[in-house]
Amino acid sequence: MKILVCIKQVNGSGEMSRFDAHALEEALIIKERHGVPGPVFVDVVTAGPADAVKIIRRAFGMGADQGYHFVTKDTGYVSSFVTASRLAKVAEKTDYDLILTGIMSQDMMDGQTGPMLARIMDFPCATGVVKTSPAAGLQTIEVEREMENSFRDCLEIRLPAVLTIQAGINTPRYPRLSQMLAANRKKITSFMEQDLFPDPVPGQESCIRMEPPKKTRSGRVLEGSLSDKAEQLFFFLKEKNLI
Amino acid sequence: MKQILVIAEVFNGRVKPVTRELAAAALDIKIKQNLQQISSDIHIIVPSDDPAAEAKKIAEQTGMDVTGLKIPGLKAYASEVYLYCLDRVIRTMNPSHVLAAHTSQGRDFAPGLALGLNAASISGVNCIQSHGDDLVYSRSVFDNTQNMVIRPTPDKPVVLTLLPGVFKPAPEKPEKSGRVDIQEIVFTPGSRGKGRIRHRRILKKPCENQALKGAKTIVAAGRGMKKKENLEFIFKFAECFSSSAVGASRPLVDMGWIGYEHQVGVTGAVVAPELYIACGISGSSQHLAGMKDAKLVVSINKNPAAPLFSHSDLCITEDILEFIPAFLKKTEAGESSA
Ligand SMILES: Cc1cc2nc3c(=O)[nH]c(=O)nc-3n(C[C@H](O)[C@H](O)[C@H](O)COP(=O)(O)OP(=O)(O)OC[C@H]3O[C@@H](n4cnc5c(N)ncnc54)[C@H](O)[C@@H]3O)c2cc1C
Ligand SMILES: Nc1ncnc2c1ncn2[C@@H]1O[C@H](COP(=O)(O)O)[C@@H](O)[C@H]1O
Repeated sequence: MKILVCIKQVNGSGEMSRFDAHALEEALIIKERHGVPGPVFVDVVTAGPADAVKIIRRAFGMGADQGYHFVTKDTGYVSSFVTASRLAKVAEKTDYDLILTGIMSQDMMDGQTGPMLARIMDFPCATGVVKTSPAAGLQTIEVEREMENSFRDCLEIRLPAVLTIQAGINTPRYPRLSQMLAANRKKITSFMEQDLFPDPVPGQESCIRMEPPKKTRSGRVLEGSLSDKAEQLFFFLKEKNLI
Repeated sequence: MKQILVIAEVFNGRVKPVTRELAAAALDIKIKQNLQQISSDIHIIVPSDDPAAEAKKIAEQTGMDVTGLKIPGLKAYASEVYLYCLDRVIRTMNPSHVLAAHTSQGRDFAPGLALGLNAASISGVNCIQSHGDDLVYSRSVFDNTQNMVIRPTPDKPVVLTLLPGVFKPAPEKPEKSGRVDIQEIVFTPGSRGKGRIRHRRILKKPCENQALKGAKTIVAAGRGMKKKENLEFIFKFAECFSSSAVGASRPLVDMGWIGYEHQVGVTGAVVAPELYIACGISGSSQHLAGMKDAKLVVSINKNPAAPLFSHSDLCITEDILEFIPAFLKKTEAGESSA
């Protein structure tokens, strides 16, 4: 069984996006669960700038086998459609049985990359997955996806498939030091945009500006020392008969 | 004439209330387009095994035209079936917009639908604004600290998932009901053989959040509490109030620090206490969805730019692990002097 995990470097912190660590952990759990016949390989792919190799090394440290880097030179907004198209180009090079992504990225919070990747590759897709159990063969996987009001949808999905992974499914492991050291010697396969896309993929939308979130309440800020603020809160609550 | 299509949220054969929020947003879009001399029609699509009764109801509630999309065998939401059927039906229409709810359903099918329609796709929209001759849409980014305003490529359709709780439906009933028609479409799986997703069952996770629902005051903990042992402070804090309960943000539940019955938010409990005290909670839209109707919100966060401060009545910029002990000291002093 071959699994591909899509990992994203968060714009700003430079770390691996939180939900992607859960996706990678789930792939590694499937690998270690021994339920599947034959060996399981877990590869990772990222589309990101040169220093995104850092999160691939971290993934190696956690136990990933191969790392693929689609090197990007973007300066501004990148449409999820563009990202999904890039990841699909790399994913198509190998016959993956399963592709995992995070439910959303910490910076873009879009949650669209996985379902779009699935549509491009013509794979079935389930989002917000909180449990996986691969069947004994390599034909199907059973998953539970989270819905509102504590409901869960139980599905049986034919492979190959795309799943987007929700937090709470597992606890991501820390990279092991020995594996991290070995990771530095491991080869990362890079792809250049111009080699995979002679004509760049046009985005379907653009970002025109950033705004602060709208206020929905007055947001009175307490001033003074720690003890002043504690006292002010106490009298505020007392006055309102809440304490 | 262009159409603004609303995909109703259907669960257990019923059209969910969030559909009326989608209708409200559709009306908002129609009015804004009108100002730009574009006239458009609103149309609600209700995908279901047996849509007649629910289609009629939503047509009466909104006064908008409704298509009951009868899909034989569709007992529960299924992405594959939605993508197949909606794609085919929408292609015969001329949509400028397709609206779905930003829920476990909408988030699941909207991006794929957009791809099939060669449309722009914007998720989690929290505001619709005019910008010259275009409409632009904002959504939360960077851990909810900022809104990004997005403009779709002109002259293409756009698929939007709308954040629940933002667009307010009109309270009064319209004078006359919209028209209802029923259209049947059969899901016939593609070249790869039979359906690739088999729906097994729907489970309900057991939860007993009665304590949260009944409490006058909820003291809620977030990742800012740093470690499980520190939750002791939250329980002590909560004891200061007569009818109180302890709430938590989701990561604490995911990490196993506290039980699921304490979780507040879109995938936890939705609460509306007199007083909600958020301790080290950043204020994600998913958490807000669970507590935004509290009468009074007090937030304690060491980051003055925490998004939750924009949705609080009282903001306290302090380290929560220092603030709670300081507050407990004041209450002791307050009680003894009283
Ligand atoms: C589909 C979906 C459903 C979700 N459902 C829910 C849900 O139901 N409920 C929910 O809560 N979340 C939910 N989430 C998760 C949500 O997106 C956020 O990740 C989560 O709410 C963040 O929790 P937090 O505020 O505790 O943590 P963070 O966002 O990490 O915030 C921690 C805050 O603590 C502050 N802080 C740090 N140290 C201190 C200190 N010493 N003193 C004071 N402040 C400090 C920081 O400044 C920060 O603002 C959901 C996510 C998805 C994708
Ligand atoms: N540039 C990228 N490289 C690799 N994976 C990505 C990238 N962007 C998004 N993803 C994957 O798609 C998921 C959802 O991201 P988003 O659609 O941006 O919310 C992430 O959790 C990743 O698994």
